[in-house]
Amino acid sequence: MNEILGIAIAAVISWLNFVLIDTWMGLPEAPGVKGADVIGRSVQERGGDLAGGFFQGNIVCSPDASAGTLLAAIGCYAIGIPEGGLIAAVLVYFGNRLCADPGYAGTTGALSITVIIFLTSFIGFKTEYFIIGMVLAILTIQGIYHPGASRLLGKIAQKMGRHTKLT
Amino acid sequence: MIIHANVFSYLIALAAALILGLALRLPLLPDKPMRQSWTISAVFPTAVLAVGFYAIVYELGYQGYIVALFTGIITALFAKLILEKVVPAPERDGEEEGSHE
Repeated sequence: MNEILGIAIAAVISWLNFVLIDTWMGLPEAPGVKGADVIGRSVQERGGDLAGGFFQGNIVCSPDASAGTLLAAIGCYAIGIPEGGLIAAVLVYFGNRLCADPGYAGTTGALSITVIIFLTSFIGFKTEYFIIGMVLAILTIQGIYHPGASRLLGKIAQKMGRHTKLT
Repeated sequence: MIIHANVFSYLIALAAALILGLALRLPLLPDKPMRQSWTISAVFPTAVLAVGFYAIVYELGYQGYIVALFTGIITALFAKLILEKVVPAPERDGEEEGSHE
């Protein structure tokens, strides 16, 4: 498979994997810690969506599906499939618990991307595509334009019934 | 890419942790709504930790069904007796965090 095409598709898959799992697990609903609350309200003040801001704050403050996806991809690359992903899931779980988070999103993200990496390996995807793809996916959420990204995340949260009730 | 682990070993570790977890009176599933629950249950995190711990011992060179069974048993005991002490649920101060119902 063409490397650039593979990375682009892996980035889309990784983006969907972590955004959908994190939203489903309720990251836009409320800040898990005070830092996430501060980030969410700061994004809102700059014209963003509060639920999307909470999402962005939560993934900064604890290893959710975004970190789970990235660490599982790195684990699969460094250790192998599926051991690397399973070990990453355990490490992400303990990281979650240390960051005042029950750990569902991070662990689910790590396990789901391990399955995806395993399945896509049959059609020519290399594990490293998912490492680069996940870095690009996080860049679109955290690294380019926070208010715009938060509005998109807010719309996804609204559609999935996970928009915040906080004001 | 070839899956090189013994799938049955993972299933043994998972089943051992699940069954012993239930025997140790861990609930099967966390309280609802699950995504906000801090309850340690047989499925999450015990079963997930069991396959993860087996992956660790597998990579350290200890493999086989007996190792998987032993890993599952140790994981269930760990989840029941130690996990809450190692990584306790955070204390909530008042209503300001997490309670948005």
